[in-house]
Amino acid sequence: MNRVACVRVPYFAAAAVERGEPALAEGPLAIVTGAPPATRVVEANGAARERGVEPGLTDAEARARCPDLVRRPLGDEVVASARHALLEACLGVSPRVEDAGAGLVHVDVTGLGRLIGPDAAVGARLARAARAVGLEARVGIAGSRAAARVAARVGARVNVVPPDGERAALGPVALAELELPDELAQTLARWGLLTLGELAALPRTGLASRLGTPGLAAHDLACGRDREPFRAWVPPPFWEEAQGLEWELDSLPALAAVLERVLARLAARFESARLWADALDVRLTLASGGHHARVVTLAAPMGEVRPMLTLLVLDLEAHPPRAPVVGVSVSARVVPRRAVAAGLWERSVPTVRDLAAVLTRLAGLVGPAGVGAAVLDDSHRPDAHTLAPFDPTAAGGAEIPRAGAGDVPSEVGFSERGIAPASAPGVLVLRRLRPPRPVEVETDAAGRPAVVRGALGPEARVVTCAGPWRSSGEWWDTRAWARDEWDVALSDGALCRLAHDAPTGRWALDGVYD
Amino acid sequence: MTVGELLRQGAVTEIVGPLCSGRTSLLVACLGEVGRAGGAAALIDADDAFDPASAARAGVDLDRVLWVRCGGRRGAALRAADLLVRCPGFALVALDVGESPPRISLAQAFRLRLAVRRGGAALLVVARRRVLGAGAALAVETRRRGLAWAGPRLVPTRLAGVETSVSVLRRQGAAAPGDGVVWWRA
Repeated sequence: MNRVACVRVPYFAAAAVERGEPALAEGPLAIVTGAPPATRVVEANGAARERGVEPGLTDAEARARCPDLVRRPLGDEVVASARHALLEACLGVSPRVEDAGAGLVHVDVTGLGRLIGPDAAVGARLARAARAVGLEARVGIAGSRAAARVAARVGARVNVVPPDGERAALGPVALAELELPDELAQTLARWGLLTLGELAALPRTGLASRLGTPGLAAHDLACGRDREPFRAWVPPPFWEEAQGLEWELDSLPALAAVLERVLARLAARFESARLWADALDVRLTLASGGHHARVVTLAAPMGEVRPMLTLLVLDLEAHPPRAPVVGVSVSARVVPRRAVAAGLWERSVPTVRDLAAVLTRLAGLVGPAGVGAAVLDDSHRPDAHTLAPFDPTAAGGAEIPRAGAGDVPSEVGFSERGIAPASAPGVLVLRRLRPPRPVEVETDAAGRPAVVRGALGPEARVVTCAGPWRSSGEWWDTRAWARDEWDVALSDGALCRLAHDAPTGRWALDGVYD
Repeated sequence: MTVGELLRQGAVTEIVGPLCSGRTSLLVACLGEVGRAGGAAALIDADDAFDPASAARAGVDLDRVLWVRCGGRRGAALRAADLLVRCPGFALVALDVGESPPRISLAQAFRLRLAVRRGGAALLVVARRRVLGAGAALAVETRRRGLAWAGPRLVPTRLAGVETSVSVLRRQGAAAPGDGVVWWRA
């Protein structure tokens, strides 16, 4: 036994605009098209219709009937994105949905009873899914699409027609609910037919001979019979949300507020489809008539609004649009969501989303070359290292040598205060000077440093020194280097590393042991 | 005193002392401790003085340390610290402001302390003098006690190590460590 749900959003063009600007839902709203003075109303929400605003009225007539009417231009992108959002929301409940027009989706709910519950629960789930993407929908459930469509127009917000009860349930419904062509509706009205039950009771052969194919189609609708096959909708390969603006935005905070709303709608769609965004394409329509397009590749797939917004804003901060913005469109390249569970004894590290946001901010603060994880180069050249992208989740495979694993070698120890080290719990590290500070060094007869000028003070005597530690490299290249290093204790208390560059004969302070 | 006692999650610790007193070695030991436990650390290096080779020799897993090189800009270093302590997931955020620490008002210090408490990371500030005042839950001072050289005969040919005394200047909480002595192998 087939069960089909029809999800219907009344006054869809208005609902699509309200989705972008929720505050408009509380008052009368009309969607207009055409340039003044030929501007006409093409759609109106419930509040506007209560005040007599109907599609087809001119802008002046509509304003005369409802002075506090809010008007918005018809945006094809806005309606299309709302239509897609509704389809995707329904797709999150059932794998078979059919796009029956703007704001109208047929959902095959056969067999969902085992998963969700009775038809009423399925209908409530569909209504919740539509609400999650910002659309208030009515749901009708019946044995056929035609019956479900009629059920979605009448009765409660979730209207369930019992199995094999289509005729009884739909019989009293007025013929106007079928939205028949005007000529056919007038003919049926002349015949005195008012309800679906009366139309369904007519003989098909007689209708066919008098009204032809349209009459038979109307009879099928009244009987709740489907003649067309179910055309399942497949989601498009792109995910896009747009927001048309009636005003011009010329500041980044205001643009960020609009982007946040657009991203929130996109994130709700991701949530219903179990997807993450891998990259975001931002397209800003400018008041000058041009476009400003940016592609923001996310450091990691994500579906949360806040980090995506942060990355977009930071990118737009670095590459601002050249004119005020009058339209925003964000499309996402999506990847399936992947659940990863951390190990029970694993220490927490920053999540990729938090890390991506903070790394981008840090790069803006100190420059991209100043942030990363140090990687030692395979070279004996002093201070040979590079900065690699920081990824703590990928770290941890290598065996880390434990400092202080071995004691000081069994050599004679000299100490300023006669302290004999029992063990070595830590390693003395060098505090580097970048670039090395040039110093003047006087040497003794043996060539050892005796006096140092310009290190940490104007002049200091060398108390003790050890060296030289000779090293050289890359003699086969133009970057050849050769140096002697000395560890020296100075009379001013400093303990530093001096380097004597062999090719130039200059001395430099490499760093201080601290 | 152990290195682990300096790492207080959600609290600020200051390591102060003159140059060559062993304060940077103490900081690097903390970075190594965090890496060995599998956590992630961030080092904000105001003076661009961090030596990765020394740190690797001291047992630091460099892949787990985010190095932020500020090139002498103290303001950028403070802002970077503020960003990082608010990013959940870091076990340690170390701010090395070196020889010329910036002036931080008491209000700023308490704001930073609040951010650290909310973020859950341990914030370690290394400087010549104390900068956070009452914003720090623990403050220790390093002083060089001794210097050892080694060699086959009475002529030193190698720097053997440095002995540092660590004394507590300020402590909050019952589990505060006492004074101690640390030996650093060169």
